[in-house]
Amino acid sequence: MADQVYFEDLSVGQELPPIKIAPDKQQLVKFAAGSGDFNPLHFDENFPLLKPMGLTENIVHGRFKYAQVGRLVFALAGYKGRVKKFGVSYRGMDMLNKEITAGGVVTAKRQEGGENLVDLDVWTMDVEGKKTTPGTATVALPSRR
Amino acid sequence: MADEFEITDEMRAQIGVDSEPWTYEVTTTSVRMYARGIGTEDPIHYDVDFAKSQGFRSIVAPLGYLGTPVYLPGQNDPTFGFPRRAGGPRLNIPMKGLLDGGTETEYLDVICAGDVLVETSHLADLKLRDSARGKMLFITNESVYKNKETGQVVAKQRLTSIHY
Repeated sequence: MADQVYFEDLSVGQELPPIKIAPDKQQLVKFAAGSGDFNPLHFDENFPLLKPMGLTENIVHGRFKYAQVGRLVFALAGYKGRVKKFGVSYRGMDMLNKEITAGGVVTAKRQEGGENLVDLDVWTMDVEGKKTTPGTATVALPSRR
Repeated sequence: MADEFEITDEMRAQIGVDSEPWTYEVTTTSVRMYARGIGTEDPIHYDVDFAKSQGFRSIVAPLGYLGTPVYLPGQNDPTFGFPRRAGGPRLNIPMKGLLDGGTETEYLDVICAGDVLVETSHLADLKLRDSARGKMLFITNESVYKNKETGQVVAKQRLTSIHY
């Protein structure tokens, strides 16, 4: 875990340090076991439903990409901050072994109910730069004051 | 037929009706397995002593962990793992295609190993849209997680599925 980020450290428009991962089949099998989603679409290249979808490779679980956005916002919150909410839409498929980048940018800073809140646009992006999993998040951060 | 499908009053009447509650235990083993599955090596998800030294009750469930099913044979879907509960919505949908539309989680507390939660879910929204593939039905379900001991709501999660 990197050093704790404080509310005063961030400004609107600032980008978060990205998280990159190129999930191989073993990683997706680990995710299937950890998440309980054993849809063969994600780990069996002979799964009969792949061809009708025009696919030759397994696709990454949407929830795996959601979890990468989760890692990103959890890293921002650190151990002293709290993630209030985060959500994404699944707009495109990502394929096995292809790099996925979880990223985010600060869209607003506000104080509400005694908390220092940071609003973010978040996403996962594929190797071609397409945001396949766009969303938003809100994180409460500690203050230096 | 899917092209003639309309959302009926009977379907809308199921919005907000809670399913039966489902006990949801957050365990050290399941948290570590999920953390391994998403590729994080942050010790806050693996090392109980370290997590306690940082002020947490135990290891912290990674964001996204909620929804990982407690599996009981005969009571969960054998492939996807989600619980098949009485009281949930029964929608007769003619569409055969299914896409995962999105996931949104609101946290009112940190989820840690050792927490015992009670989850109920309900149909939160139904929307019908026209698309190049024909009619698409957006179904949003909301799960509410309460701490079993205190009754406090600790998280709400909304899942949207797209039927076409």
